[in-house]
Amino acid sequence: MIFPYQCLVARTDSDDSNKWTVFGASGSKLVAQSSTGATSVWPQQDEQQQQIVSAEHGEPPGKRIKLSPAPTERGPNFSSIILSSNGEYLIGVTGEDKCIRVFQVDKEGQFQQLSERCMSRKPSSITLTSDDFTILCADKFGDVYALPLIPSPNDEPAENPVVTEQPVDKDFTPSATVLTVHSGRNRRTLEEQLKQKAKGPLKTKEAMTFKHDLLLGHVSMLTDLAYAKKGNRSYIITADRDEHIRISRGVPQAHIIEGFCLGHEEFISRLCLTPLKLLVSGGGDACLYVWDWQNYRLVERLPLRDTALQHRKARSDLSPSLPDNDQGFKVAVSGIWNIPGLDALTNAVLVACEGLPALFEFEIGSNAKSATTISLNGNALDVAFIKGSDNSCSIVVSIDNIHKAGSTTLVRKDKIAARLQYFSKQTDGQWQEDEIVGKVFVGFAGQGSLMDDEATNGDTPIGNGADQASSEKKSARDILYSVENLRKRPGAEE
Amino acid sequence: MPHAPAKRQKREEYKNSLHTNEQNAALPKKKFYRQRAHANPFSDHSLTYPKSPADMDWATLYPAYASRKKEQAPNEGLQILNDNDEEEQRNAIAISKDVKIADIGCGFGGLLFAMAPKFPDTLILGMEIRTSVTEYVQEKIRALRVQNASTNGYQNVSCIRANTMKFLPNFFQKAQLAKIFLCFPDPHFKQRKHKARIVSYTLNSEYAYVLRPGGVVYTITDVRDLHEWMKEHFEKHPSFERVENEFEDGEGEDGTGMDECVKIMRTETEEGKKVERNKGMKFVACFRRVEDPAWP
Repeated sequence: MIFPYQCLVARTDSDDSNKWTVFGASGSKLVAQSSTGATSVWPQQDEQQQQIVSAEHGEPPGKRIKLSPAPTERGPNFSSIILSSNGEYLIGVTGEDKCIRVFQVDKEGQFQQLSERCMSRKPSSITLTSDDFTILCADKFGDVYALPLIPSPNDEPAENPVVTEQPVDKDFTPSATVLTVHSGRNRRTLEEQLKQKAKGPLKTKEAMTFKHDLLLGHVSMLTDLAYAKKGNRSYIITADRDEHIRISRGVPQAHIIEGFCLGHEEFISRLCLTPLKLLVSGGGDACLYVWDWQNYRLVERLPLRDTALQHRKARSDLSPSLPDNDQGFKVAVSGIWNIPGLDALTNAVLVACEGLPALFEFEIGSNAKSATTISLNGNALDVAFIKGSDNSCSIVVSIDNIHKAGSTTLVRKDKIAARLQYFSKQTDGQWQEDEIVGKVFVGFAGQGSLMDDEATNGDTPIGNGADQASSEKKSARDILYSVENLRKRPGAEE
Repeated sequence: MPHAPAKRQKREEYKNSLHTNEQNAALPKKKFYRQRAHANPFSDHSLTYPKSPADMDWATLYPAYASRKKEQAPNEGLQILNDNDEEEQRNAIAISKDVKIADIGCGFGGLLFAMAPKFPDTLILGMEIRTSVTEYVQEKIRALRVQNASTNGYQNVSCIRANTMKFLPNFFQKAQLAKIFLCFPDPHFKQRKHKARIVSYTLNSEYAYVLRPGGVVYTITDVRDLHEWMKEHFEKHPSFERVENEFEDGEGEDGTGMDECVKIMRTETEEGKKVERNKGMKFVACFRRVEDPAWP
């Protein structure tokens, strides 16, 4: 069985707008599908080849294998992939090793890894500045770093003037004197420090040995970030688990906070800038929020939960069946995408919620509160947009082929569930399944990380038993579904 | 912990006895409110905080400054308001002037109670993460207001439980504050806990956001290491500059020219007094919010 595509992204050929390439991450593998029918995979099947590639970049061979968490010799799994605006570079984040990997992708979609930079904290979201020079990386610790897309050999390594992560250890002095008044606990820490001094310096966490600049930080887990440019001004927009959307100035003034968009009552998980200068945010709340973000003003709320609930009720094929009262039904937004190619005055977004086999299209700023729903065969994971030269728009949707539609825990019985679905927007605005697009993806649909079939056997909820199959099931679940975990649990106190 | 239930019971009985009479003017006793000195600023305490500054119920904290008096907007009336009356609701919780001074990690409130009479026309807010310590300060404010009813004393000071490291912008607008106090913060000696410190380069951006240009962050500690840390992180932040020497230390033996608040901070905080008794060192550093540079 092949792991689903947890991430998708598409580019249009810069020379020929009829040509495009769709990229997907399936577990630890990257796959490219071009409109001409060619597919390519990274890393290449041949183990030796993989080692040569990494050796070329000064990486000790076999390191990737050492880092793989499961005994199945799988590499770290991708948690997100983005493209540079010219489509030439693909940046992928792998979760287990907290690594940002930059690939050059040629016209045929062949990958060449240029760099891998492991952050000291797990990246939760990355984006690029509009000039494609700088990667902005938001992490689970709440900080945003800037890294050059292509590290220049002239960059001084690591030492950045803003943070000195390790205070100089050689001349150790205890943090306080015995005169210090504080709790017994601090006094004990002080004693520990003195003892430690006698033993020699502590082994500190591996420092990042490449250029990285700390731009800003929240005291909260960052969940998404966006970069915007308006005239000469640039902005960094960050969202956190504690309901904040922060608007900061861009580099070199990223330390200045211009304002906040406040109003969410649950965690925020996704931000989406629209071409009409609006910002759509979603997370654990019942609604999507639409902001005039340059004035920190809420424009409208879109009824996502009600739309999703309506769809859920209409689907008798889903398990587990919905509880009798609707109160417990919650949504967790896992994706918000601009729908390209409409006219300049209307904006619409497509929205996915964790564990729901549907996509919802909302028009922005029209006050039309009803949504168009695309019903799917399995839970939506990611969407890639293919824009035709005639302004037509098709989407490739990756589907969870492991779990049952409507559930993030129950495993499917059918082993041949499709991992992808294809739709095209009709002139009447409806989305129709599109076999013709699907035919191009035959190669793509057959590629990806292989899963141990044992892992997907049986109807038992994930987490039962302590065997390897169960742990692989759990890890599959962790890769695909991490948004609902952001919700705060009441009573988790002091 | 065999003693815990008895201790808890005693505390409850004591607190209940205080609440039997709203007009009780007796000051609360500290021993019933002691709490361990540390709190984890990253954990999801069940905190209450407003969605945004406009949603904050200031009128309950500063009833003498409520925009609309209680009689006009009885509580039952508030509950039947729906979303469309958001404006109405916000009026009911608003006050006639904004809080200008915040004491972050106010502890038992020594600084608050010393400042309140010195700045009778300025609203001062203490913010403390520990529940019982906050309760103590709130009780003391209530009692002092009763004691000083004739002069309207202590109506300008209040205290809330809050995690300011996460939620400062939920309480204050941009450039609202004139002074922020960070007195004897938890030093978090362990290196892996340094992000838990109340001062860091990234968090300083939030202090800069809520402070008006010209506003001041006051810091004092008895831990030299932490003092150096705070200096380093404020000095490298482009939104702040260190104040003049005179402001912090004054001149000559009697400290002429020392800022009024620095004086209070050196002597009136609980920790300050403790350090005094132990003959320890006190390190003061204050930083002024500079104007933001032009933006292309």
